[in-house]
Amino acid sequence: MKPSPFIYHDPTSIEEALALLQHYSGDAKVLAGGQSLMPLLNFRLSAPTALVDINRIAALSYIQQEAGQLRIGALTRQRTLEFSALVREHLPLLYEATTLVGHLPIRTRGTIGGSLAHADPAAEYPAVATVMEAELVVQGPKSQRILRPEEFFLGYLTTALASDEVLVEVRFPIPPPTSGWAFVEFARRHGDFALVGIAALLDAEGEQCRRARLATAGVGPTPVRLRAAEQILEHEGLTEQSIEAAAVRAAELVEPQSDLHASTDFRRHLTQVLTRRALRQAKARSQERQG
Amino acid sequence: MEQFTPKLVGARVKRREDRRLLTGQGAYTDDHRPSGLLYAAFLRSPYAHARIVRLDPAAARSLAGVATVMTGEELARLVKPVRAGSNMRDYKTTSWPPLAVGKVRHVGEAVAVVVAESRYLAEDALEQIDVDYEPLPTVADAQAASEPQAALLHEEVGTNVLLTRQFAQGEVDAAIAGAEVRVRERFRFHRHAAICMENRGCLAEYHAGTGALTLRSATQCPGLLRDVLADLLDLPEHCVRVVAADVGGGFGAKSSLYPEELTLCAITRLLARPVKWISDRREDLLTSTQAWDEVVEAELALRADGTIVGLRAEVTTDIGAYSIYPWTATVEPVQTISFLPGPYRVPHYRGRTRGVATCKAPLGPYRGVGRPITTFVMEGLMDRAARRLGMDPVELRLRNYIREEEFPYKTPSGIVWDQASLTACMHKAREALDYEATRQWQRQAREEGRWVGIGFATYIELTGVGSAIPVSPGMPISTGTEAAFIRVDPSGTVTAAFSVAPQGQGHETALAQVVADALGVSFQDVRVICGDTAVAPHGTGTYASRSAVLAGGAAILAGRALREKTLQIAGHLLETNPADLDIQDGRIFVRGKLERGIPFREIARAAYGGLRRLPKDMEPGLEVTRFYDPYYGTASSATHVAVVEVDRETYEVKIHRYVVVEDCGRIINPLIVEGQVRGGVAQGIGAALYEEVVYDEEGQLLTGTLMDYLVPTAAELIPIEVHHLETPSPTTLGGFRGMGEGGTIGAPAAIANAVSDALSPLGIEITELPITPERLFRLMRGTNELS
Ligand SMILES: Cc1cc2nc3c(=O)[nH]c(=O)nc-3n(C[C@H](O)[C@H](O)[C@H](O)COP(=O)(O)OP(=O)(O)OC[C@H]3O[C@@H](n4cnc5c(N)ncnc54)[C@H](O)[C@@H]3O)c2cc1C
Repeated sequence: MKPSPFIYHDPTSIEEALALLQHYSGDAKVLAGGQSLMPLLNFRLSAPTALVDINRIAALSYIQQEAGQLRIGALTRQRTLEFSALVREHLPLLYEATTLVGHLPIRTRGTIGGSLAHADPAAEYPAVATVMEAELVVQGPKSQRILRPEEFFLGYLTTALASDEVLVEVRFPIPPPTSGWAFVEFARRHGDFALVGIAALLDAEGEQCRRARLATAGVGPTPVRLRAAEQILEHEGLTEQSIEAAAVRAAELVEPQSDLHASTDFRRHLTQVLTRRALRQAKARSQERQG
Repeated sequence: MEQFTPKLVGARVKRREDRRLLTGQGAYTDDHRPSGLLYAAFLRSPYAHARIVRLDPAAARSLAGVATVMTGEELARLVKPVRAGSNMRDYKTTSWPPLAVGKVRHVGEAVAVVVAESRYLAEDALEQIDVDYEPLPTVADAQAASEPQAALLHEEVGTNVLLTRQFAQGEVDAAIAGAEVRVRERFRFHRHAAICMENRGCLAEYHAGTGALTLRSATQCPGLLRDVLADLLDLPEHCVRVVAADVGGGFGAKSSLYPEELTLCAITRLLARPVKWISDRREDLLTSTQAWDEVVEAELALRADGTIVGLRAEVTTDIGAYSIYPWTATVEPVQTISFLPGPYRVPHYRGRTRGVATCKAPLGPYRGVGRPITTFVMEGLMDRAARRLGMDPVELRLRNYIREEEFPYKTPSGIVWDQASLTACMHKAREALDYEATRQWQRQAREEGRWVGIGFATYIELTGVGSAIPVSPGMPISTGTEAAFIRVDPSGTVTAAFSVAPQGQGHETALAQVVADALGVSFQDVRVICGDTAVAPHGTGTYASRSAVLAGGAAILAGRALREKTLQIAGHLLETNPADLDIQDGRIFVRGKLERGIPFREIARAAYGGLRRLPKDMEPGLEVTRFYDPYYGTASSATHVAVVEVDRETYEVKIHRYVVVEDCGRIINPLIVEGQVRGGVAQGIGAALYEEVVYDEEGQLLTGTLMDYLVPTAAELIPIEVHHLETPSPTTLGGFRGMGEGGTIGAPAAIANAVSDALSPLGIEITELPITPERLFRLMRGTNELS
């Protein structure tokens, strides 16, 4: 389990990194926290000519509040997010999801950008980005693009990133202070990738629901926005019946795969269970914040 | 015989090896880097069953940094294949060359080896070896493999059924036919992997000048390896040394001879340079011996009052591709029918078993061998019987345990239990749990619609096995003895060497406690060395819950012999009758006259000081080797209780409480015993809820990483409550009983029974482990089509 030979670069600026990626025209890989890339290299499932290690680019690691958003540099460690007061205050959903990512040593190295760029369908961050309608800032050699999650996540481990582009920033809109949130998942063990994860964000007033947003992890090749379920809540409010109806609808909206750990049917069943749990929790939190 | 009066034995002495192991000072196989070291990497078969049509190593050989590339045919000229012999009548062995010759029989089997200046270069070179395989039909499961038209794994054997065996007593068919209550079930225990913190690995070093071969290996059995390496490599045994220094876990999977060990020994002789191979996690999951993989169809019959009248069972074990050395393919299947009646009086019994070869990694011993499944089966049947009879499961058990006055008790398979605390363990477990209150809580929880259950499991385990029966049935080599070599140095410190070889069990502490007590010196003055055949007297290693009994017994014998000689010398120097002397804390004194004494170190110096200071005709020196053979061995027992809850929506099983009451005889060190119990229970919980080796129909391993083979972590466990009974064994020196495996034996059964109890309102009973959420989901849906 040793990687094939590769050339190693560790640029200190984004410009340098972009130039290197361009130089290898598709045959170089960005190395961030290495928590997904290193196993692929060690199994020799990926054998790029060169690695462009971005860990020395200080300009990629930050958390800033600006224009009603939290802007997070792609190289920001998951553990930094876990302990950031800004994140806890403004993006409690991102905080909650972060605590579910792997284990402490993995979060210590793993980055938010790496997780999004890797696009594992069972990962937490893609679901959070989707439910929060985050903006993904992608820098190419010439220009910058800002993508919506639906544009960014294209398929299983596949994103819209071109081989000479780097994900530099993620922008999360800060939800209204009375909104409720929940990230609920079911994994075989603590720290495992979820069999199913549900991210919920509610903008509510009493049982009235101004906006409901739901997204999944683990039940499709990309995160799935459960729009038809959201509409039930927006039309019918946050009653037990409408929550149940939304949960039932959620299970109908997903097309999960079978694998070693769970069948399609069981994942669909879990989608319903977890959607219900996420909505109940999000509703309770919203009510608590409304006082 | 003088009494063994313990002082340190029984004390909660902190493990002295932990400082080293926990601060990174341990020296594992991979920590050794002799100069001139080369690194090996193995090319492994991607096919489960295939003929090797062509294998061309030329391109790999020509790469810079590659010292050699060797194929199966080439290696076969240097090493004999492994043939695990047995005296058992209906057993057929297999021929297992260290690198495949002609064909491969499981995914991951090694077909060639590259030895290079680094592991990186070696793995690069693997990609340059050209192999053409002609796939053969995959023999994927034991049932299909035993059909007459099945493809053969070992053509020369003529069948895939490598063994059949039966134990019988009484008239079981008639007894069952005439019984008032019968319960019957088909139990499935899936394949299991040991998963050590340290993967397997070895380092072979041949010294051309002396002709000496040293193998450092992450093994449980250095002594055993030394004997067999000398044989298969055609080397004089005194030229072979095997060292197992620090080893990070074994659990049985490091107790067999492996192809990599043989390969490296052969290659280092050829190159006269040291060669190392460290298994990566994928190789370990593909090639280390796996466990269990059994189907047991069993039927238990009882009278209306709950008394057992008969038990019969048919066992099929999937033993994988090869019969392993030295335990053979019989180790799991035969132990299963041997131990099935467990702690119960079963007047009429028949157990039949067969072991079938398939295209999977070889099956080997794993912590508990045979007993995790027999306990799961027998205790599962007992709970079914209790439900059928409307009896309390505890009462039913108490009615059927072998009674105190019946010991020594001979089982239908011929094993003799010296004594065990079955009834006492259950009584204490019931009390520790507060059984009545827990049932009351359960009734309330059920009324709230929760699925909660209580499960019991009691086992009896043969440990510290001596020479009366082989550790593995029919095995021709003896594992019934161990020895202690103890030397008192001239300064009065003590070095004790043993052939047992721990992988984390704390022998350096426990055996030092025994030696210190037997000799009368302080704990600090005793150093224990294990696992180096150049230092230790002949023995085999650490496995089968034997070290406390065998090495502990040998330590008592050797310690006593030295104590006696010490007293003789002291008597001479003090001009006193040695019978009036005593040793304590490193000082010899006249009993009743503490002030008249002499420090132990004076005696040590005198012993090496020449004849002038010694009694007339006494041989100088203060060292001794003593062997011990406990002959039958001794029984350990325990009752485990699990209290669980099943999530009504996600089908996750949560353990609320876990209680163990165990009796391992005289306890050398309660800290170590509790650690072993807890570790064992953790592995048993893994078996009950998480761990399963999965192969697909093509014989491909689907659980080739630790993201797919799920081992419970600290986060999945709860504090495990451990209580002791301490009934010294009537048959072993020191009264010790073995206890290294027990935790793993009780837990799968206790948890399965607790889940069945939780789901009993739905009529669901657990027949298959692990109990995954997916399996429960299907049981709930009533569509239990096993994939
Ligand atoms: C045992 C284990 C358990 C885990 N459990 C979880 C879990 O429960 N949930 C979860 O979400 N994740 C889990 N992970 C994955 C972990 O979160 C990774 O950290 C994350 O997926 C990748 O982040 P990284 O910074 O390590 O990226 P790397 O591994 O360095 O890179 C991953 C991929 O993204 C690319 N990349 C990285 N950064 C950029 C960038 N800025 N621009 C463009 N491309 C980039 C790389 O080229 C590579 O293809 C687990 C990992 C392990 C080892």
